[in-house]
Amino acid sequence: MNFDINTIVYMLEIIVGGLLVGIGVHFVPVGGAPAAMAQATGIGTGTVQLAAGSGLTGLLSAGLMMSVTHNLWPILATGAVGAMIMMDATMLTGTWIYAYAVGAPFASAKVTYDPVTGWSQPPYVAPGTVGQGIPTVCFVSGTIGAAMGGLGGAMIYYPLVLINHNPAQSAIFAIGIFMVDAVLASWNIQGTIEGFHDPKFKKWPGAFKACLISTVILAVVAVLITPITGGA
Amino acid sequence: MDAFGMGLVAAMGALATISGASEDIDSDIGSQSNPNSQVQLAAQVGNPHRIYNKAIAGEPPSNALWCTCAAIVAYMLIEAYHMPALFAIAAGAAFAALVDGVMSTSAYFGRNASQARFNQWIYLDIVRYTTTSIMAHVWITAFCITTIAYIQIYVLTPHHPFPLPVIALIWGLTVGAIGSSVGDIHYGGEREFQWRLFGQGLNTMLSGQIVRKAEAGLRNSIDNAWFCAKFGGPCTGLGFGLTVFLDNWRTTVFDPVTQASAAIAMGIFFVLVMNVYNFYCELSARRKYGPYPGYKGDIAA
Repeated sequence: MNFDINTIVYMLEIIVGGLLVGIGVHFVPVGGAPAAMAQATGIGTGTVQLAAGSGLTGLLSAGLMMSVTHNLWPILATGAVGAMIMMDATMLTGTWIYAYAVGAPFASAKVTYDPVTGWSQPPYVAPGTVGQGIPTVCFVSGTIGAAMGGLGGAMIYYPLVLINHNPAQSAIFAIGIFMVDAVLASWNIQGTIEGFHDPKFKKWPGAFKACLISTVILAVVAVLITPITGGA
Repeated sequence: MDAFGMGLVAAMGALATISGASEDIDSDIGSQSNPNSQVQLAAQVGNPHRIYNKAIAGEPPSNALWCTCAAIVAYMLIEAYHMPALFAIAAGAAFAALVDGVMSTSAYFGRNASQARFNQWIYLDIVRYTTTSIMAHVWITAFCITTIAYIQIYVLTPHHPFPLPVIALIWGLTVGAIGSSVGDIHYGGEREFQWRLFGQGLNTMLSGQIVRKAEAGLRNSIDNAWFCAKFGGPCTGLGFGLTVFLDNWRTTVFDPVTQASAAIAMGIFFVLVMNVYNFYCELSARRKYGPYPGYKGDIAA
C-alpha cells in the first residue's frame, strides 16, 4: 500500500484506541482472587481477563456494525455499548451472589464515603478484609472502563479493516493490540484496583507512556503487515 | 425486525445461558479459577483434601482454547467436507472435550505431585470419575458456543463478518471472564467456607481452612458441583445469556443501517437499568446485614 496521509490517520486511530484500552483498564474494579472469597472489593477475577472479555464483546458488535456501514461514529458507539452491556451484566450477576449467597454488605476499603452515593464505608468492612462486593462507585467506574475498552477496541479495528479489507485478520490483530495494552495497564496497577476513586488510579500516566510506546510500534507493524501477508 | 430473527436471538440467549452455567460448573468441579488459591493453600497449611485441581490456566484463555478447538473442527467439517452443521459442531465439541481431558489430567497429577511434601495424595478414583464430568461440561459449553457462532455467521442477518473460530474464541473468552467473575464467588466465598460468620466478608486469617467434610463422608469436587449448580452456575448463565441476548437483540430489533442510533440508545438504556439495579442490591444488602458489630471507628454507619 502507499504511504500517504490516510496511513498516518490510520496509525493515529490505532494509537488512540490502544491508549483508550490502557486507561480504560484502570477504571475496571478488579479484586483478583481475594475478591472471589469476599476478601477484597471488586470483581473476583484478573484485570486483563475481564477487560478482554468486555472489550472483545464490543469488538464483535463493532465488527457487525462495520459489515453494514463504514461510518465511524456508529461503529465506535456500538463497540462501547456492547462492552458496557457485558461488563454490567457480569457485575450485576456477581452482585446477586455477593448479596444473596455469600451475604456480605458492599463496602470499599479505599474511601471513607462512596463518592457516588455518599454512604459511609468503614463500618461495613469486616476485619481481615479490604472491603467486599461491588459498591455503586465501583459499578459506575467499571461501566466507564468498559466503554473506554470497547471504544478503544473498535477504534483499533476500524482502520485495520480499511487497511487490509479482511475482517478476520483485523479482528485477530485488534485482539493482539488489545491484550498488549491491557497487560501493560495491569502491571501498572499491580493486578488489582477499585476504580477511579482508588489511590492507584493516579498511576495512570505510567501506563499511558508504556501503551503509547508499544502501540506506536504495533501501529507501524499494522500498516506494514498488509503487503507482507498479501492482504487485498 | 422479523419473527425468525427474534427467534434466533432468543435461541442464542438460551444457548448462552446453558453454556454459561455449564462453564461455571466445569470450573467448580475442576476447581480451576480464583478459589483454587485456597485449595492450593489448604494442603500447605495442613489440610490435605480430595478436591480436584486443574488450575493451570485462567478460565477465559482455557475456555477460549476449547471453544476455538471445537469451532475449527466444525468449520473444517462444514466448509471442506460439507457435513451437516449439527454433526460438525458435535464432533468439534467432542474434540474440545478430549483436549480438556488431557489438560485436566496432567494438571491434577502435576499440581498434587508437587504438593507431596505437604502430605497431599493423588487419588486415582478422583481422576477416574471427576475428569469425565469435567469433559462432559466442557462438551456442553463448546457445543453451545460454537452453535451461537454458527447462527451469527450463517443464519442471523446481517451475517457476522468474522469467521467461526474467531467468534468462538471471543465468546469463549467472554464466557470464561463471566464464569471467573460470577460463579467463582459462589464456590470461593460460600462453598469453600460454609462455617464462617454469615453477613460479612471472609477474614484473611481463615485462608486455607476450607471445608473438607461433605454432607456424607469426605467432600470431593462432585459435591461442589451439586452445590454450585443451585445458584453460582445459573447466575453465570444469566450473566452470559444477558450479554449475548441484549447485545444481539438491539441490532435485530433495530436495523443497524437505518436505525443505528436507536440500537445504540437501547443499549445505553440497558446499561442504565443495570446500574440502578446494582444500587438497589447494595441498598438491600446494607440494610439486611448492617454494619460490622465490632466496629470501633467514629464514622457513623
